[in-house]
Amino acid sequence: MIPGLSQALSNFIQYSLFYLIFALPLTLSYRTTKVINFAHANFITYGAYVAIFLHGTLGFNSMWLAAALAFLITGGIAVLNNVTVFTPLQRRGSTPAILMISSMGLWIAYKYLLYMLTDVMHFYTGRNFVSYGRITYSDVPRTSIMGFEISQALAACIIAATLIVLALYLMLEKTKVGRAMRAVADNPSLAEITGIPRSLIVNLAWFICGGITAVGGVVWTSFSGAVTPEAGDSMVLQVFTVGFIGGLVSLLRTGVGALLIASIENIGIALLNSYLGIPTSFKPFLTFATLIATLILFPPLGAGGGLPYRFLRRGSKQ
Amino acid sequence: MISFDIVGFLISWLTLFGIYSILSISLNMESGVSGITNFGKVVFYGVGAYISAAITTYLILILNGVNVAETPPYSISGIILLSQLANKAPLLNIGLLLLSLIMAFAVSGLLGYVLTYPILRVGPAFVGFTLLSSGELMRIFLLHYEPVGASKGLMAIPTPFGWIPDSRARDAAFLGMVLGFLALTYLVSDRLVNSPLGRTLKAVRDDEIAALCLGKHVPRIKATMLFIGSGFAGVAGVFLSYYLTSVNPNMFVPAVTFNVWAMIILGGFGNLKGSLLGAAIITLVDRVLTFVTPQLGVTVISPDYLRWVIVGLLIVVVLLVNPRGLLPEKPVKTPAVEEVRKVLTGEGG
Repeated sequence: MIPGLSQALSNFIQYSLFYLIFALPLTLSYRTTKVINFAHANFITYGAYVAIFLHGTLGFNSMWLAAALAFLITGGIAVLNNVTVFTPLQRRGSTPAILMISSMGLWIAYKYLLYMLTDVMHFYTGRNFVSYGRITYSDVPRTSIMGFEISQALAACIIAATLIVLALYLMLEKTKVGRAMRAVADNPSLAEITGIPRSLIVNLAWFICGGITAVGGVVWTSFSGAVTPEAGDSMVLQVFTVGFIGGLVSLLRTGVGALLIASIENIGIALLNSYLGIPTSFKPFLTFATLIATLILFPPLGAGGGLPYRFLRRGSKQ
Repeated sequence: MISFDIVGFLISWLTLFGIYSILSISLNMESGVSGITNFGKVVFYGVGAYISAAITTYLILILNGVNVAETPPYSISGIILLSQLANKAPLLNIGLLLLSLIMAFAVSGLLGYVLTYPILRVGPAFVGFTLLSSGELMRIFLLHYEPVGASKGLMAIPTPFGWIPDSRARDAAFLGMVLGFLALTYLVSDRLVNSPLGRTLKAVRDDEIAALCLGKHVPRIKATMLFIGSGFAGVAGVFLSYYLTSVNPNMFVPAVTFNVWAMIILGGFGNLKGSLLGAAIITLVDRVLTFVTPQLGVTVISPDYLRWVIVGLLIVVVLLVNPRGLLPEKPVKTPAVEEVRKVLTGEGG
């Protein structure tokens, strides 16, 4: 028995749920809007900070309320991004690379805007918001099944992930809006010709994607011991790798990717640590190796163009 | 009362301008001209800075007969020893500078070349993201790697001109060296962009499939460009570590990359003169903020955060308002273009 394996196993379950909640909206937003959105990291952090500001300044202690508010605010930010930046750029016929660079600019601006907000809040309340401790919510149950204590964060994560996956499935498969969204994802101009209000659908997709990610951020505040404005950034590598394993198109494969990355990061590093003595802080290297392996073995050709160079004959003339 | 040291301001601005211009020219060559979405500029910059810091501090101690296993350069006794030994021999300092430059160019360039194998065969999103995350990995590695000081970094790096007694003259000599290398970088890049290789690159950027159909080996061309661009970024890192005389992992956050991106987007994508202009404007704003804010006494909002928000918004606003930048890209200067222009304007007939 490897020391710390049970801890690694419980972390694996927890992280795979988090990666699922964070990576599903990323895939969905790319599929519908064709924007590789690096400001996705901000959605996570802003969701977490809605909960933290509510808790720190007004003393709110309800996760449901925080999640609902975070959904609205972050979804609003996502729609704002789309209306002010992505839609004008797309209308001008910008390349995917230009859209990606603009989302980078948004990322950096939002991140330091949050730092400024924490400074201002610190000035008025005197509390430290740059590193905020774990929040214990009053309305999430703590239970134990067969002697295993289920922490509040795990319970919240299970509830959130189930609700999100179920709601996304029902919406995309059963409702008219979901069908319109899939039509826009598959062929935007054809969808527009058939009378689907494309810009409305795209805005709705952004709202849902931003909102879901923010809910994940709210749950994160009950899991992580110290939430900082870097919380989203530190998960960018994992979340995007999960998305890339799904090719940024398949929601099902994104789920598989979440399981894969969470197991590599938690169980894999625990094994390496006990057998080879590799420090656990090096677990991003494993994720990076997975990313590189994915790119070499299955060159995904969907996201943002790219040619199947791997199938060029070796030594072809320049 | 606002006091202002004009000469000191100019020297510090121009030195920063030189360092960032080398970065922005090389990034413009990679991204503006050849279309590689390089979001990992900070990797090669950081590798260059750390290589020069490590070479200089370790070699100075070793050549002076210090046992680095007992007093490594990041320990307190090592730092004290370094400041005593640093400026004894001018020739040694210059030699270490040259060695650092060569090593930084070679290692950064090779790293860029190696990284291209998996990534240049997929779309721009994957290229950008992989390079971005390799920057974070480098930071995590440096944070935990003891021989380069882990989270403390390396301090008291001996500058190549430390033996000049007058501090103004020392700064001016350093500035001269940086600007000299900037001129070299500009010349090399300008020649490259206007060469057959440069024109191929523009073709690749504009239509990859067409370039492929014309028989160009696109990944190999891009890898060559990334080798050259990363090498120059490494050189810029060398200058940074000598200028600040200390390096630590948290200097190399992804935001540094976006600072350089803001420069080339503001200046003009694909125009080397534009990257000079963009670097000049952004480093000027940076320096003015650093000089002015301590005298305004603003404490609630840190000027550092404000600066990054401005950089981020600048990228977005320039892309929205004037995507071609202040100095738009111009046609390449070749004899054939001149001939066609003469025919069109009816001069040569």
